Amino acid sequence: MTAGSDFDWVLLVDGIASPEHLDACSAIAEHLRSEGLKGPGAEATFGDLVFSHDLIHYIGGDEDSNANLTRRMLLLLESAPIGRDDAYVRTTNNILNRYIIEDFGWMHARNPMNVPRFLQNDIARYWRTIAVDFAYKRRRRAGKGWALRTAKLRLPRKLTFAAGLLMCYSCALDPEISAIVSSEAGRGAAAKIVAHLATYVRKTPLGIFAELFLAHDSLAPTAKRLFDTYDNFLAILNDDEKRLRLETLAHDEIAEDPVYQAVRVLGHEFQEGLDRVFFDPDSPKLYELTRTYGVF
Amino acid sequence: MRKYGFSTGALAFGDFARALELLENVFVEAIELSALRPEELVPLMAFVTKANLSRFSFVSVHAPAGYSAWEEAEIVRHLQAFAERGWPIVVHPDAINRFTLWTELGEHLLVENMDKRKSIGRTARELTQIYWELPKAGMCFDIAHARQFDTSMTEAYKILRDHGDRIRQVHISEVTTSSKHDRISPTAVRAYQEVSGLVPPDVPIILETPAEGEQLEEQLDLAAAAFNSSRAGQRRAGSVL
Repeated sequence: MTAGSDFDWVLLVDGIASPEHLDACSAIAEHLRSEGLKGPGAEATFGDLVFSHDLIHYIGGDEDSNANLTRRMLLLLESAPIGRDDAYVRTTNNILNRYIIEDFGWMHARNPMNVPRFLQNDIARYWRTIAVDFAYKRRRRAGKGWALRTAKLRLPRKLTFAAGLLMCYSCALDPEISAIVSSEAGRGAAAKIVAHLATYVRKTPLGIFAELFLAHDSLAPTAKRLFDTYDNFLAILNDDEKRLRLETLAHDEIAEDPVYQAVRVLGHEFQEGLDRVFFDPDSPKLYELTRTYGVF
Repeated sequence: MRKYGFSTGALAFGDFARALELLENVFVEAIELSALRPEELVPLMAFVTKANLSRFSFVSVHAPAGYSAWEEAEIVRHLQAFAERGWPIVVHPDAINRFTLWTELGEHLLVENMDKRKSIGRTARELTQIYWELPKAGMCFDIAHARQFDTSMTEAYKILRDHGDRIRQVHISEVTTSSKHDRISPTAVRAYQEVSGLVPPDVPIILETPAEGEQLEEQLDLAAAAFNSSRAGQRRAGSVL
């Protein structure tokens, strides 16, 4: 988190409903306010009670609202439990379990590279939803905060999506996991891949990239470029004056604004770094995975 | 064929003779003699000297789950008598105060994985810590405890992956959110089937379900279904699944 980051939190309930849960939720909100932390954003996706049933049962379909999709994806891709983690573990494992058990191709060994498509499709859906909502929010909020949202879309949101891709691709890159043949191992195979994916839930997006870079020496120059770019971006966001500038910048000012232009350049550099990871024929496995799963 | 049986504690709490009576007309090959309270241990020792247990090819004893620290050495000494018969001794890891006492039971000791209320012995990682203290001990895999801790059965898988070679007995039931043993439901059967193939076929299954009458046969059928096996020819009435 940078100094001005929203603190997106939920009280995750996985068990019997109780009226006292709302009291606990209010107490958490009050405590965070008293600590001077900036609350969740205007969409009110966070800062409230969230029930595991919605996260686990509503994947796709009308009930899977924008908020539910966002909560589920961020739970898997960039969350951390505070305090007891048993509800967190049960919920994330059950979500992952659904993505595997209900992945017909994976369960019937018709997915030669073992990448869990159901999960990967939902991560891709989330990324596209963010991108579409970017346009929605620009109209809805009459351009307010547009520059900051652009910067976040180009770097941290894209980073989260890319880390989600790596999470799915790890099922093909990890020798032990890629060797699983679901039809031979029966349903125990699903438990094995869920346990593997669950280890990724505990990692940060940058941590996932760091592991990839450590495992592939050829990506060392890309690692430096990607992390330096991201570090420079965080430095801008951590500067109160620059962050405020991005928050308040009018659309007709961007061409001449040095802060926005700096972020724009960092966004392009970050994209070039991602291109080197996912679209470089010299990294044959990642290139092949992206070609096979990344678009269609 | 896999062996199935009941825990006497689930059938008739503290009344071993009554529990065996309830099983007279039920085909089971395994029994767990449960002395969950320390005051049940001495009566159990007396009971086994006169009871006819010849119908059971597998007998185990469940050690007391709650007692004062000063009682521990005497409890282990009593349990040693059962171990000398070659019977496994099931223990809750949170009941152990001094691991050195329990090492005397050697490979006869089976550590049971715990439900979510407990602070140790719930996960594969927590069990690893216990086996550092009790390297010769085996395991009683409580599949219902594992499911209560993680309903996706991922932790159950991890326990079987990391400690499967230690498993000598399985406990099966359904454990409620308040950590009470209940009868197995078809939903639980589906969850157990996710990982039951990883339990070696010679490991006996002990039911901890509070069943009576016709429920005994129903629960045995559900347990067999959970382990993807059948009790064909062993049941008097039709299947419940």
